[in-house]
Amino acid sequence: MPDSAPLLAVNDLHAWYGESHILHGMTFDVRAGEVATLLGRNGAGKTTTLKSVMGIVGRRTGSVRFEGTETSRLSSNRIARLGLAYCPEERGIFSSLNVAENLALPPAVRAGGLTLAEVHELFPRLAERADSQGTKLSGGEQQMLAIARILRTGAPLLLLDEPTEGLAPVIVQHIGSILQRLKERGFTILLVEQNFHFALGVADRHYVVENGRVVDCVPNSRASTATLQGYLGV
Amino acid sequence: MITLFGYPIQALMGQLLLGLINGAFYAVLSLGLALIFGLLNIINFAHGAQYMMGAFVAWLLLTYAGINFWLSLILAPLALGLFGMALERLLLRRLYKLDPLYGLLLTFGLALIIEGAFRQAYGVSGQAYQVPKLLQGGINLGFMYLPLYRAAVVVVSLVICLATWLAIEKTKLGALLRAATENPALVQAFGVNVPVLVTGTYGFGAALAGFAGVLAAPVYSVNPLMGSNIIIVVFAVVVIGGMGSILGSVLTGFGLGLIEGLTKVFYPEASSTVIFVIMAIVLLLKPAGLFGRTA
Amino acid sequence: MKQVFNAVLAAAALVLVAGGSAQAQISDGVVKIGVLNDQSGAYSDLSGQGSVVAAQMAIDDFGGKVKGKPIQLLSADHQNKPDVGSNIANRWIDVDHVDAIVDVPTSSVALAIQEITRNKDVAHLNSTAGTSDLTGKACSPTTVHWTYDTYAQAHGTGTAITKQGGDSWFFITADYAFGHALETDTAAAVKEAGGKVLGSVNAPFPTTDFSSFLLQAQGSGAKVIGLANAGTDTINAIKQAHEFGLTKAGQQLTGLLTFISDVHSLGLDTAQGLILTDAWYWDHDADSRAWAKRWSQKMGGRMPTSVQAGVYSAVTHYLKAIDKAGTDEARKVVDTMKTMPVNDMFTKNGKIRADGRMVHDMYLVQVKTPAESKYPWDYFKVLRTIPGDEAFRPLDKGGCPFVQSAGK
Repeated sequence: MPDSAPLLAVNDLHAWYGESHILHGMTFDVRAGEVATLLGRNGAGKTTTLKSVMGIVGRRTGSVRFEGTETSRLSSNRIARLGLAYCPEERGIFSSLNVAENLALPPAVRAGGLTLAEVHELFPRLAERADSQGTKLSGGEQQMLAIARILRTGAPLLLLDEPTEGLAPVIVQHIGSILQRLKERGFTILLVEQNFHFALGVADRHYVVENGRVVDCVPNSRASTATLQGYLGV
Repeated sequence: MITLFGYPIQALMGQLLLGLINGAFYAVLSLGLALIFGLLNIINFAHGAQYMMGAFVAWLLLTYAGINFWLSLILAPLALGLFGMALERLLLRRLYKLDPLYGLLLTFGLALIIEGAFRQAYGVSGQAYQVPKLLQGGINLGFMYLPLYRAAVVVVSLVICLATWLAIEKTKLGALLRAATENPALVQAFGVNVPVLVTGTYGFGAALAGFAGVLAAPVYSVNPLMGSNIIIVVFAVVVIGGMGSILGSVLTGFGLGLIEGLTKVFYPEASSTVIFVIMAIVLLLKPAGLFGRTA
Repeated sequence: MKQVFNAVLAAAALVLVAGGSAQAQISDGVVKIGVLNDQSGAYSDLSGQGSVVAAQMAIDDFGGKVKGKPIQLLSADHQNKPDVGSNIANRWIDVDHVDAIVDVPTSSVALAIQEITRNKDVAHLNSTAGTSDLTGKACSPTTVHWTYDTYAQAHGTGTAITKQGGDSWFFITADYAFGHALETDTAAAVKEAGGKVLGSVNAPFPTTDFSSFLLQAQGSGAKVIGLANAGTDTINAIKQAHEFGLTKAGQQLTGLLTFISDVHSLGLDTAQGLILTDAWYWDHDADSRAWAKRWSQKMGGRMPTSVQAGVYSAVTHYLKAIDKAGTDEARKVVDTMKTMPVNDMFTKNGKIRADGRMVHDMYLVQVKTPAESKYPWDYFKVLRTIPGDEAFRPLDKGGCPFVQSAGK
């Protein structure tokens, strides 16, 4: 795995919502094939970072490079087409679409995505409930659906915003094992997490975010729940 | 002879059929309006003007290029679609970040300008447009004489409404449209060019209005004021059906056509107001409309 | 500044009056004629700009001057709203010193203008409004009603068709004052001629789809369906009656107020066979043709309606009367108009009665078939010339107050 060429390189990223300046120079990178997390308190700027990388935040400056291509001036659909896929915190399941339609919605951006059969093998519940309205699923099932639908697109980099939020421990565990399998399959994952235990179980590196900046990078080998909590002053 | 409320049942059937024909126009027009409202969140006041322009394009094509009705039925909606897309690109797009009221004002102003321009150029008495040869004449149904053309209007409108509904409910593109209606930012972040989708949707809505205009040309006179006469009713249809509800606006369109038809028999003076009375009642009892989802 | 100007004018007027001058008295040295009509709505084709052009032609043909004073033309759009029309008329009279208000379609607006012109002593030369009240209950000594009225339309068409055998009628009526008046007048004429009225239906104004009402008319079994409406309502009703095969099935259709512009819009395929009453037809004789062609050149090839020709005729007659009376004072001019016969391209030997009604021959016409029509706008064949005295309401039946008192 070449250290020199990260898949995603973010440098001095600033972002604003209206007049409020949220990101104050985020700098970090994600290497191909690794799972990296952004950890931090509520309001530190983690979600805004994902949205800025995806191009959803209107006003942003600085540099975001994906596979060497500068994306900070592109619109979100062009960014997605480069090979980034995004799973929002609120999951974004469409209520007017059934499960199968939700699953089929994001267009393929590259060859090599999971086939529908592979998705169903990973998430058997989605096959069973294909005809249900998307938002009639349980919270856990909706989260599975939100992850499942971006696996089909062939995007090598997945941006996941708090996939475990509000879910029962057994489901969190299940999601953890799925992320493990995705990593084995070669996906690169940038994860925003509040659940340190979960983060420790899946990630290679942790970026600690405070007030819209990265204040430290901790390899998973040096991290523990205690150290991470220490960083965040929890 | 069997009678109902003092009217021969045959006469009532005739009136119901006529109501259905008017309902067909309401349905096609409100369908476009609902589509546009759903995705753009804009109340397209220019819809009536686009309907009128559809009729005029057909008339202009016939008068100056000898192009017949059937070809116009394709060309006029295409022209209106392009016009709509240009309008969306150049003007409407600038308003999405503002209150929807601005969109309403802009389209209302556009409607006045377009109508005024056509009035200036062609006067108000309207232009004659003949029923196409193939559909001249009619069938005697026993209880009434049904002009073939009107029968065709109902069939074609039903087909268009059904096809649009199926396209929206059952196809990939339709799923994209529904998803973008709910959460455009996320759909765009999946790699879909939502602005193009929006432009296309507005264009399609305008094309539907143009299509209805061509259908109307042989029945009503091709008149610069024809749009403003019908658009208020169509707005009521959309409100009663539930803003943005596709199926709701189609069903309501046909249904209100029937009710209006019956009113013309029993109390003709009220036939132009009955729809608004229904609208008031529906708004009181079910503010989101008969088929609307409460937010 | 304006006040100073007005004061100078007033002083000048005083000098003239004090001088007891026998000179021509053209107030403020200019004759101003205002064409007030619908320039954007339902009646803008049959009156509108075409009436303004007709009035300008009358002025130009007169030489642009009367008694050596210039004639000036104004025009405005009253939007078929009485309040808008009244505001314009008041401003014209009070500020611009307009001497005559001309054309004024839409009965409700015309009646409002009638009050203003009567109170302020300004001439009202009405060509396009329908209501026969203008020379009846609401008559005014400064008004001339030129071209037609609801009585003449109703009697011309109602009587003629009933006598031809169309003796059972059903009315489709525009649900407002004008429509009801037209229906009442026609029904009276039909009954007078020995026919009967089987029923009527009130259609909201405006209506786009008449099919339901037409079906009711068809169901009535009446031989004649009378359309007591105007403009686009008439056009749509006729078009759809054709579509539903009413005329083919033997029922006769008549537009009680149909203009040639309506026929043009319908096209002969649809309008053929329609019987109607009109006050003037461009292709009637050499004079009318010559004038119509001149008008047509200014109006992009269209042909004038009877009311547009009426505007020309009325303005011309008005200017002649000023020339003869030597003043532009409304009452004197209108009284002079009443003493002079009208002889021009509009009518021969027309006369203006005491109540202000210009009495002239009317025409019962039938719309030609496409085969009969030889050239553009060749639309009417005259079935009968209705003599003026028969066409219009007798003088003593109108209820005009100053006519009755004069008679006693």
